[in-house]
Amino acid sequence: MSLEITITPEKNNSKRISISGSLDSNTAPQLQDKVDAEINDSINATILDFSNLDFLSSAGLRVIFKTKKIMDNSGGKFLMVNLQPQIKKVFEIIKALDGMNVFKNQDEMDDYLTAMQNKVKDGE
Amino acid sequence: MHKQTITLKNSATESDKLSENLHYFIHSNNISPDIHDDLRLAIEEIFINIISYAYPVDKTYDITIEFSHTVSSLNITFTDSGTAFNPLSCTTCKDDLCDGGMGIPLIKSLTDEQSYKRVKQHNVFTVTKHYTKQK
Repeated sequence: MSLEITITPEKNNSKRISISGSLDSNTAPQLQDKVDAEINDSINATILDFSNLDFLSSAGLRVIFKTKKIMDNSGGKFLMVNLQPQIKKVFEIIKALDGMNVFKNQDEMDDYLTAMQNKVKDGE
Repeated sequence: MHKQTITLKNSATESDKLSENLHYFIHSNNISPDIHDDLRLAIEEIFINIISYAYPVDKTYDITIEFSHTVSSLNITFTDSGTAFNPLSCTTCKDDLCDGGMGIPLIKSLTDEQSYKRVKQHNVFTVTKHYTKQK
């Protein structure tokens, strides 16, 4: 089973990591390498897009949590979007969704980001 | 076919074969495909647990996996000759991102029954998933 990873820059110094295929014990190191190369404390937000991910194991979860930790430690945002039901179920089993910024789709996430930007503009 | 046995090496790269065999066994025995996704994840977690805890990383061993079914349940038994290791009693974790490991809660949640026994210097771990017979 293979994993495809695409990292694209987003506005406001953010990066989107789109993953498709299988994030498992064999492919998790590929994502870890990409994260190590692309995600650091200068990034304002990391968006993990699960649109086309159809399998996630605990090895993949560990990379996701490490990425979140990078963002948490630097005061950045870690956002997850487009979780398919079978992927959401994995997070629910290990009770990992509490405290996560999870969005059903792009529109919902855009609304959140716009609200965040407005807060910054207003000096809150 | 009510039984199928495969033997894999203690390498993570072998887990793809495990998934392929699960898919084949479910399909060829007309078992409800609804249980496929849950079992695919559960057996990946079991396999990786065995590799991680039962064997030294630098030596090659065989792990035998037997698939069997009844009219309403699918059983998958892992047999290995590694160090005595009961996944159900595992409370340690290899990193600081979780307590007790994430694999164990996944295995317990995604299967209906789990059992471990030590038999003649072998670990024998079985999971069972119930299903509704397809019409």
